[in-house]
Amino acid sequence: MEAILTECVQNSLRHFMYRNAIFMCERLCAEFPSETNSQLLAVCYLQNNQAYSAYHILKGNHMAHSRYLFAQSCFKMDLLNEAEAALCPPNESSAEIPNGAAGHYLLGLIYRCTDRRKSAIYHFNQALSLDPLLWAAYEELCILGAAEEAATVFGDAASLCIQKQHLPHGLGSKSMQASAEDQGLISSRNVGAEDLSPRHLKNIHGNSQRDAAGNYHSAPQPGGTGSQPLNGGPTTLSFYSTPSPMAAASQLSGVAPPPICRNMQINGPNSCATGADSSPRSTVNSTIQAPRRKFVDEGKLRKVSGRLFADSAPRRSIRLATGDSVANTNSNVSTVSGNGTNHSSKYLGGSKIATGSVRPVTGRKGQSWSNENFDEGIKHDGYDDSRNSSTTCSSPSSESRSLDQEGPTSAAGVCLSGSRVAVGASDLLALLRILGEGYRLSCGYRCQDALDVYVKLPQKQYNTGWVLSQVGKAYFEMVDYVEADHAFNLARLASPYSLEGMDVYSTVLYHLKEDMKLSYLAQELISTDRLAPQSWCAMGNCYSLQKDHETALKNFQRAVQLDSRFAYAHTLCGHEYVALEDFENGIKSYQSALRVDTRHYNAWYGLGMVYLRQEKFEFSEHHFRMAFQINPRSSVIMSYLGTALHALKRNKEALEIMEKAIMADKKNPLPLYQKANILVTMENFDGALEVLEELKEYAPRESSVYALMGRIYKRRDMYDKAMLHFGLALDMKPSATDVATIKAAIEKLHVPDEIEDNL
Amino acid sequence: MAESSEGEEEGKLVGGDQQLVVDDDLCEMAKKAAWSVSSCKPGNGVLSLRDDNLDTYWQSDGAQPHLVNIQFQKKLVVLYVDFKLDESYTPSKISIRAGDGFHNLKEIKAIELVKPAGWVYISLSGNDPRETFVNTFMLQIAILSNHLNGRDTHVRQIKVYGPRPNPIPHQAFQFTSREFITYSTVR
Repeated sequence: MEAILTECVQNSLRHFMYRNAIFMCERLCAEFPSETNSQLLAVCYLQNNQAYSAYHILKGNHMAHSRYLFAQSCFKMDLLNEAEAALCPPNESSAEIPNGAAGHYLLGLIYRCTDRRKSAIYHFNQALSLDPLLWAAYEELCILGAAEEAATVFGDAASLCIQKQHLPHGLGSKSMQASAEDQGLISSRNVGAEDLSPRHLKNIHGNSQRDAAGNYHSAPQPGGTGSQPLNGGPTTLSFYSTPSPMAAASQLSGVAPPPICRNMQINGPNSCATGADSSPRSTVNSTIQAPRRKFVDEGKLRKVSGRLFADSAPRRSIRLATGDSVANTNSNVSTVSGNGTNHSSKYLGGSKIATGSVRPVTGRKGQSWSNENFDEGIKHDGYDDSRNSSTTCSSPSSESRSLDQEGPTSAAGVCLSGSRVAVGASDLLALLRILGEGYRLSCGYRCQDALDVYVKLPQKQYNTGWVLSQVGKAYFEMVDYVEADHAFNLARLASPYSLEGMDVYSTVLYHLKEDMKLSYLAQELISTDRLAPQSWCAMGNCYSLQKDHETALKNFQRAVQLDSRFAYAHTLCGHEYVALEDFENGIKSYQSALRVDTRHYNAWYGLGMVYLRQEKFEFSEHHFRMAFQINPRSSVIMSYLGTALHALKRNKEALEIMEKAIMADKKNPLPLYQKANILVTMENFDGALEVLEELKEYAPRESSVYALMGRIYKRRDMYDKAMLHFGLALDMKPSATDVATIKAAIEKLHVPDEIEDNL
Repeated sequence: MAESSEGEEEGKLVGGDQQLVVDDDLCEMAKKAAWSVSSCKPGNGVLSLRDDNLDTYWQSDGAQPHLVNIQFQKKLVVLYVDFKLDESYTPSKISIRAGDGFHNLKEIKAIELVKPAGWVYISLSGNDPRETFVNTFMLQIAILSNHLNGRDTHVRQIKVYGPRPNPIPHQAFQFTSREFITYSTVR
């Protein structure tokens, strides 16, 4: 009876019938109380977004997998201490971290959320070494600024690792490992900006057990979203793979419907895991319609759906607990043939997943990691709980398949030969390398380099939501809003339901003052997902553009409530407070943003501006300098740093920085203007006039240029010219205050400057 | 010598002035100010003057002149004062005074309204361009007499406008062209 019940529960989970699963599982636990069964029950609850139930069930359990699941529930409930204690018991320092890479990843996230940077970095690195396809871990490292070059991470060692994972061996292996790996792998791969859809698909798929072995081909690899090769096989995915919202299914979307996967079985819950739930992000593959589980937020179980495991199932062991969804689908990443990363981790042999235990399905929670092939890099914009985009690589089916299952994985009986795995692994890694490098560079704000790297991607990968929105972000950081708009537009076309990066898009439109487009975007995002912070950020930007700062502030506060780990929402709140002249709250908001992510240079900039306004120039200079260190290429930051130095009367240094700013971006007129200001203070009027003449060419309708020139001429006693320029300045329709100032200046033209207030 | 304020003649007021339209570079200044009135009828107090609701109004209940006092925490620059008026109890002579406190208020503007209906903009600028804005700690609006010599007065809303501060601190002039504005902030 136990076996029947177990099978029933797993079946229900696979088909997303949670109520049934929970009910049956409770009978199971009552009848045959055992830790494995309670794990199963916990998985059911996690899949159904009831982390609190899982929490209570698992409290106190000591099996590795239980601890992992427990940590996941705690993480979802924001009980970080307990989560940490579960994964890493304080009195057993040498205890092994449960679930291998997934556990390390979750632990890394916990450390990151509690500000312990070094430990976080250590664990992410561990996770990556255990599972080179754990893109999400790599992504987190990039965000923390501590990532190594992609080439080393996704290099040969990784290749060997993957191969090992995918060669069939013991099926039974608890998927856990596989999952972890899968997740890892997949994530990493996926992270690549996979094509939008494919990615998502992938992720989604990833989880879903694509067991469909063999056929995986589903993910038409490369581009394709690794749709998870649904392994036809019996992938009994019974795992409920952690609720990874993996919408594994979603993953499929987009890219080619899982090709030929023979068995495409979307293993149960796995697919679901596509984190879809969580943020509409990435998972939203438009095409993927996989049921987005709304788990997401919580369990970032990432299913590394990538797993193409064609073969049944080993899919994704329920990655359950794995944090962010690394849906390591067990997917045997078999033969990751090129496509996505095969997460084969789990594939241990066809592994009959069926083992009563829950196979950790690498569900990805929250993240829709791209299935296998595509690195779904679900890039979360925010620092959301790392939804790691587990880009599960869906391994190109065929190969995976063979690996996977011996069992039913129908994998069409494809025997994956070791060499196919190798080829697949290396292709996958090659893809991940590009994506990883690109992401790393863009996190370091070396945007032009990042763009050059992304261009190396194959067409189909490039045209995915993730990659295109990364490209958009890179242009945004380079203050090239027009190109950014273009890139984001393509991203929206490629994956209209993805919210990843849309907050940055809304800011781009804000800068371009396109209120129609911006309000359209905001409306669409809200109707797609009312619970995503990005939608409310876009809405807030819309109101802010119309100068309705109070409503904008309300919207941003909503975004903060929805996800307090989304740094950008805090920063935007700060901007609105400052616009309303509420500096205290503004400072608080900026500091919250920095608490979430110290490398968020916008918040440093915001603080610098506040102090500049309050005339606390020392503080202001310090903050601008911090922003400058994080993003040393931004000409805007440099010009403000120069302004602060000017205010501190350190004119020489100010001039140096201004020169750098001018060199950094020829199209930015501000540093030139500030340079002129500084020269005026240094009484170098000729120099200033020269600079202003140059500026006149560039921005002929800028009233402040003429006004400043007027002032200089007045100082030089060249009254005619001064009058001319003041007149021109007035013609350019400056603001009311300036009209008053300029008119007053005209009146007092013949009054010596010392008496003049302004000068 | 009462001068008519702009737009108070019926002809000018009808139409556009039913809605409050303000230039983009001005913003309402008196949100953080302390408002007080010389007298009021219960239920129609000073809150109604500031509640953004045109249906509620302040009604005075004492001897003329009726006073509305606005005290700012820091010196504010003020450009417009807007009244929303009623037909009955409508003020006809208004004097606006400014100063540091109750002890040294000085009249800066005196106007007479002729059949106003809707929003009345009272610009506080003097003729001198230097005096476009009034820099003051306190503003007092005194209603000296009403239409038809009524004793009490109704005022529905009063808003005080001044210039928006330069969004870019430490900058003498504000930017007007798109190229400058695009690069002027990081969001």
